[in-house]
Amino acid sequence: MTRLLAPAGSPEALQTALDAGAEAVYVGLKGWSRGGARGELDWEELAAAVRRAADRGAEIQVAVNTIPKPAERAALFAAIPRVLALGVRTLIVNDVGILAVLRRRFPELALTASIGCGAQTAADVAFFAELGAAAVVLPGTIGPAEAAACCQIGGITVEVMLHMVEEFLLLGKCWMPSYVHLKPTALPGGLPDAMRQTGSMKRGGVGACFRICQQPWELTTEDGQRESQLFPSRQLSRLGDVAGYLAAGVGVLKLQGRSLPPALLGPLVARYRRALDAARAGEPGPEAAEPTLPDQWTVVGR
Amino acid sequence: MFELTTSISNLRHLRASDLGPYDAVYLGNIYCRRYEGNLLERPAELREAVGLVRDQGKRAYLTTYAAPREDALPVLRRALEAAAGAGAEAVEAHALGVLKLVHDEFPGLSIHAGNFANVYTDAGVEVLERYGVSRITPNYELTLDEVDAIAAGSGVPLEVLVHGKLPLGVSESCILLEYEPTWGVRCPDLCQREVFLHREDWALKSVGTGILSGRDVCLLEHLPRLLTAGHRHFRIEAVSESPAYRRDVGAVYRDALARALAGDVGLDPRWSQTLGAHSKVGFCNGFAFGKSGMEYVSPGR
Repeated sequence: MTRLLAPAGSPEALQTALDAGAEAVYVGLKGWSRGGARGELDWEELAAAVRRAADRGAEIQVAVNTIPKPAERAALFAAIPRVLALGVRTLIVNDVGILAVLRRRFPELALTASIGCGAQTAADVAFFAELGAAAVVLPGTIGPAEAAACCQIGGITVEVMLHMVEEFLLLGKCWMPSYVHLKPTALPGGLPDAMRQTGSMKRGGVGACFRICQQPWELTTEDGQRESQLFPSRQLSRLGDVAGYLAAGVGVLKLQGRSLPPALLGPLVARYRRALDAARAGEPGPEAAEPTLPDQWTVVGR
Repeated sequence: MFELTTSISNLRHLRASDLGPYDAVYLGNIYCRRYEGNLLERPAELREAVGLVRDQGKRAYLTTYAAPREDALPVLRRALEAAAGAGAEAVEAHALGVLKLVHDEFPGLSIHAGNFANVYTDAGVEVLERYGVSRITPNYELTLDEVDAIAAGSGVPLEVLVHGKLPLGVSESCILLEYEPTWGVRCPDLCQREVFLHREDWALKSVGTGILSGRDVCLLEHLPRLLTAGHRHFRIEAVSESPAYRRDVGAVYRDALARALAGDVGLDPRWSQTLGAHSKVGFCNGFAFGKSGMEYVSPGR
């Protein structure tokens, strides 16, 4: 049965997502999730979130999708038993090495290869299946036909990020921010000398990638052409394709936006809930405009 | 002994290039399927290119797309068949699915994991070792100390970018296409122009669907350190550069590496003159020293 997986960056957002019909909600664990502290829960909040979701028959998934350095990895692994003790069984990770080690050390975990792992093809999905991932996230740029090819790979659930900001450079393949700025910051709850590389989207950041791609640039050519250049980005919505993804065999419809305030998150989740219910019933999708979030919900707000 | 590599996208650039300074060439363009004469899309030309490289006594490697979609996989299979049949020795895989595909279907080809494969840690190396990779280019965000640590704990040789434009990202769309009408230039000629993006003192280079550093990574002064750490595979990233750049920069590094390996750590002033003449917006060290990628750190600092 295809499930709807919503984001939550706060206890209030979690409640909103559950109320709007999410069957699973992913949250960041403070200090370990790409996207930064604005969208992370502390331990107390995480424990409450698991209880609240369980009361609704929903699941909490935890994103630990930074790539800690070897010395910091011990602190991450030391935290996993505590995550398990709370009842969490699904972690979202961003690195093949971390995924493999977690798989070996904590076989009770279901591990999701995050969108930052860069999977786009059936061959990529097969790689992550072989590695032992329980699920892999494809970007919403992958349409139902391509997703269907990915779903042919056995032993792994295919998730698609149906609502997301499509930036100019692909997630997981962008080092533009750290080329311009790199600011080491203390790692909450980590080793005393552990530092996160704020500015690196793979290594996590405190909610900051410095919006390099949102700045106006001057484009020049060798023969003197000068243009004002913005890197294109757009809000990608696949509301109208929900039935197609279900037919393709996609197991999870995922929405991006751990920084979304409840007032924006609720209507977004509710629209996809209605579309999923209609598709499951074989009925036409709801007469709703493609969900459009405000312009300020940009690259840093996802 | 060491190996100096570079990358060339098409037959035209290959024919115009002096490969003298290099030991091996990565053939193909990783950014765009529509790139002019992209060898990944043209098996017959790829076979000819492999032959041209091998006839010069060099090793031919095939590179592959940084972020392929499903429809590119049959094309890559044909390129792999052509390259293997013509005597290419290795394939550089950036996408993990392609890496698995080469491992499963082309056992005669060595596998190099490219920088877009995102190997950040020793744990990542361990995973790729299961697929028989014979070389890894770690993610360029790593510092040299981190690269050294991975190399020390692994049996897989690492390839280090020592000079050229640092790849900073790949896109599925092209920012140059919108200029077709105003410039009067059509794809695939658009990205044959040298295009830079500037803001304040920041500079990037656009290759349409890819973004590179505007400044040239330069690790010339740090070659003795790299050799002492045991590295022997070095790359000049010149995919968007002229044949003259490829020839002159390669010659500098060939000379500097040979001398450093012989214990001569001095810097010939002519080297910096040559590199400076080919640099449009200056030098940087990439992420080698834990700074932002565009900074340049002199060895004395």
